[in-house]
Amino acid sequence: MRRTLVPSALALILVAGLATRAAAYEAMAVTDGGTLSGTVKFQGTAPPPAKLEVTKDPEVCGKEKTSPDLVVGSDGALANVVVTVKAQKGKKLEPPAQNPTFDQKTCEYKPHVLAFPAGSTVDVLNSDGILHNIHTFGTANPPSNQAQPKFKPKIQVKVEKPETIQVKCDVHGWMSAWWVSTDQPYVAVTDASGAFKITDLPPGDYEVELWQEKLGKKTEKVSIKPKEDTKVAWSMTKS
Amino acid sequence: MARRTTPIDDEKRSYGAVWLVTSLLLFVGALWCIADDNLFRRPWKKFQAEFNRLEIQHLKDAIAAEQQRLDADPAYQQAVKTLADARVSASSGEIARQIADLQRELRRAQQQDQSKDLNLRFVKSELEELRFKYDDALHAGRPTEELLKEIEARGQLRAERQQVYTESQQHIEALQNEITQLESAVKTAEDEIAKLTTARDDVQQKLEGVSLGYLPGPKATAPYFGFDWQPKIPRIQQIVLEEFDRNNFDKPVARVDRCMSCHAGINKPGFEDQPNPWKTHPHRELLLTKHPPEKFGCTPCHGGQAPAVNSPETAHGNFVDEHGHLENVEFIERPLLRGEKTTAQCIKCHAGVQNLETADEIGRGERLFEQLGCHGCHLTEGYEDLAKSGGVTSIAPSLRRIGAKVDHGWLIRWITNPHQFRPRTRMPNFMFEEEQAVQIAAFLLSDTKQPSEEWLAAHPAPAAAAGTELAAKGKALVESIGCRGCHAITEDEVAGQLGANKDIAPNLAKVAEKTDARWIYHWLKNPRGYSPVARMPSLRLSDDEARAITAYLVTLGTKRPAPDALETRLTDVANAAAGEKLVRKYGCAGCHDVPGMENESRIGVELSAFGSKTREELFFGDRTDVPETWDDWTYNKLLTPRTYATKWIEQVMPQFDLAEEDIKALRAFLSSRTDSKVPVKYLYRPPGEDRVVAGRRLVARYNCTGCHVVEGRGGDIRRLYQEQPTFAPPMLNGEGEKVQADWLFNFVKAPVPIRPWLQLRMPTFGLADEEANTVVGYFEALDRVQVPFVHLERAALATENVEAGKLLTSKDYFDCFSCHQRGAVKPQGPPEGWAPDLALAHARLGPEWIIKWLRDPQKVMPGTKMPSFFPGGPPDVLGGDDEAQIRALRDYILSLGMPEPSPQQAAHVVTGGPGTSQ
Repeated sequence: MRRTLVPSALALILVAGLATRAAAYEAMAVTDGGTLSGTVKFQGTAPPPAKLEVTKDPEVCGKEKTSPDLVVGSDGALANVVVTVKAQKGKKLEPPAQNPTFDQKTCEYKPHVLAFPAGSTVDVLNSDGILHNIHTFGTANPPSNQAQPKFKPKIQVKVEKPETIQVKCDVHGWMSAWWVSTDQPYVAVTDASGAFKITDLPPGDYEVELWQEKLGKKTEKVSIKPKEDTKVAWSMTKS
Repeated sequence: MARRTTPIDDEKRSYGAVWLVTSLLLFVGALWCIADDNLFRRPWKKFQAEFNRLEIQHLKDAIAAEQQRLDADPAYQQAVKTLADARVSASSGEIARQIADLQRELRRAQQQDQSKDLNLRFVKSELEELRFKYDDALHAGRPTEELLKEIEARGQLRAERQQVYTESQQHIEALQNEITQLESAVKTAEDEIAKLTTARDDVQQKLEGVSLGYLPGPKATAPYFGFDWQPKIPRIQQIVLEEFDRNNFDKPVARVDRCMSCHAGINKPGFEDQPNPWKTHPHRELLLTKHPPEKFGCTPCHGGQAPAVNSPETAHGNFVDEHGHLENVEFIERPLLRGEKTTAQCIKCHAGVQNLETADEIGRGERLFEQLGCHGCHLTEGYEDLAKSGGVTSIAPSLRRIGAKVDHGWLIRWITNPHQFRPRTRMPNFMFEEEQAVQIAAFLLSDTKQPSEEWLAAHPAPAAAAGTELAAKGKALVESIGCRGCHAITEDEVAGQLGANKDIAPNLAKVAEKTDARWIYHWLKNPRGYSPVARMPSLRLSDDEARAITAYLVTLGTKRPAPDALETRLTDVANAAAGEKLVRKYGCAGCHDVPGMENESRIGVELSAFGSKTREELFFGDRTDVPETWDDWTYNKLLTPRTYATKWIEQVMPQFDLAEEDIKALRAFLSSRTDSKVPVKYLYRPPGEDRVVAGRRLVARYNCTGCHVVEGRGGDIRRLYQEQPTFAPPMLNGEGEKVQADWLFNFVKAPVPIRPWLQLRMPTFGLADEEANTVVGYFEALDRVQVPFVHLERAALATENVEAGKLLTSKDYFDCFSCHQRGAVKPQGPPEGWAPDLALAHARLGPEWIIKWLRDPQKVMPGTKMPSFFPGGPPDVLGGDDEAQIRALRDYILSLGMPEPSPQQAAHVVTGGPGTSQ
């Protein structure tokens, strides 16, 4: 059977999900851990940001939006890249002291990519005061689709299994975000300047996986030394 | 005196040696008889004894495992310790001394109590005696004063002794209580342990049940001192199915199954990993729970010589030889059914076998038999009426106007070998020579000349149905409106599968080689206008849309040159005459509507009892390499249908090119076509089963499952919507419960768009009333809908519910109309973002279904865009009661689009309407 549709993000999520699940992560005490920090940039000329048409609730959502699926800042800084150090063991995966929050503001998801340990409960906020719905498209986690009308400023969604899940709003079709539920603690998401930082890594050689929803997956190699900050400058581009 | 004939010496001769030898022989013979009768000819005893041992071992292991678990359980350890402590303290130390003292005291008290009791009884007797004397004296006129005094004195004494005895009893009871009190720690501890060991004790009880008991035995090991659980003595295990079979005089006779004499573990869990005959039945939970062996026996599904126990070979009637090939035992008519032939028997009781769990092969086999059109040529009981639709043969496309449709060169190539053009077509290959193909084409074209020309005259070629731009538009339409639910558009694509390598609808990759723009255009516009038995539905295309799709389809494939002088040969009358003979001989009219051959009879052999055919009834031709069994014959026949032809005997069955699994499925189906009938009481006929069977056939005919998931199957088009499942066609699980019967009837007859966000179109199939009814009945039967009709009145909806519901739908609460259309009031944004018109709900949806839907939409239709609003309704409406809010929403939704109640209606408020239901 030939598919005319390109194998897409969905397939990649599956692959990413399977890869992270393949080897069980082992927790141990990390005493002289090193740090991995650096930036991810877009290589080449960044395409102009895609425009999103706001077709509904313009008084809250605004008139026009740029798509958050590929945000390239000055100097090619690439935001929303999920950086995963493929560590087999290291510090314990602690559930966060405070639930990760995920806001809906001016009909955009804040943040666009949210990473958290599996088993966390996400506090979903509705700052807009209009009807939104949180439709998650997980496979390892059961898909859920909850309405969040005006009178519910906060609802909670628990994510049990590690998986990268797309989140969409069916009321406002352009709204899309990603939840990255992880089974180990060495995961970061790049900020608007493309920067990320991962600490307490046991010294050693690692494969690091970069994933961006439009650019796909890329693997880098890195060597972490005790109590040192290993700086990297990585780049991604359209494949 | 008679003369002595025997010499005196003979009488004196001793026959001791002869007697000894013969009596020894007799004795040995007797021993042999006993041994033969009990051991040699009873192999089942060995099997059953072995199973009994296995079961005992299994239970012993279970007990040991449970004991191990208990030993590791801290609660159990604690309980054991508590008990031991309690026992120790009850047998030594202060408490033990107290108990001993008390028991001594108790014994003394009990002894004294006896004499106290006796004293009381004496005085009671004396009292009775005195009363009699008094009575006697009174009647005899003697003085009674003395007696009365004595009675009073004795009465006094009795009361005193009664007092003494009661005190003694109380004393004893107090002592006993005291002892129990002191010993209670032990009792409590024992009860505690018993609670923890229930599981172990249950298995222990089972072990006692399946064994003779705890007897000396060879298998015993050290801790048992030569004692062990002993297996029971094997016995024939037999099941009698009264009046199951019919004898040659058609009189009901019982069937006797003794299979479980060897297969002793078949209905016992825990022996799944054992080899046969000790193995647990596969899917025991499902199959044997629904068909308990004591009621259904074994052979109704498995076949075999039910009562035979002489050897596995005679009981089974066949065996697998050292080469792994199945051999039949001679003279046995009903050998064991193996593999897919076992599940094939499901169809004998289950009419709706096509979606039956664990009956995949037979379901597939029946579907293939129906949809490949085998019954077009082969008369088969139960399938006689499927070949025609409204009296017109409708398995394959109608050939009534073939002249208006196809390219002549293509027609020759197609008739010669259809699989060359379309490898996955269901049309079989008759392996005609080109000459024969030309003859058949000549006949068909001359036979259909007049209706073809009339059709062409009424359907002129469309203007400007070509061009790259238009074709691009057409391609976009083909990809979006749903054509690909049934049709593949590239050669290696698979849209809907009939079998492993058969398509449901034609692959359109080379359609332009076959036909032209004129036919495509009019066919698209109105398929029934060309053929009244067309399966292809109308997609209600506008002229422009049909032109665009035509422009696209004519780019798929190119015309190829026809054979030399084809037109001359096609118009040759002799060719047409020869063609007619071929068409009759090969039974084309079995599947196709051919003018003038409407009443041709089926050309194939009847298959109603094909499964009962014996080896002698099967003709193997020159195939000496095919093992002479029904299975092998049938397999090879389906693989290469003309394989048994010889120099003298011709065969006409065409080549279907079936995949291995489809051949096996069809063979399973054929094996179920036997002349034996199952008694009515064994048939599974739940209400609505017939409607389900009819519905499935209709669903298969029109390939509803190309787009929709029905009964958990199908939804082929979803392959194109994996990323955006919300844009895929709705799944029809629970449709019977969801929609109202009359709405569904009208909808399938004349669909209207319901989901504004879908580009796909529900086609108009042009269903006859009976067919639409079949659809409605099918969905109702699937959901076991008892009352399909819904009567709603505006006045029956409670005003406070409607008002509360209206409030809940408002912007401050659920804001339903952010997405849902409400009659003429449309939501913001483009239609892709809209949700169904709620003003249609009162005519379309089942009131109870709306409640279910609002409670949890994802549960009803996984993946739906509709989010869950409950639990967690607003606290300030209807007291924050979710269920009350759901009912209010439902009532408000139903009120939309319903006319306001007139005063007369309001006076006739119907009670029990949806507004008051719980």
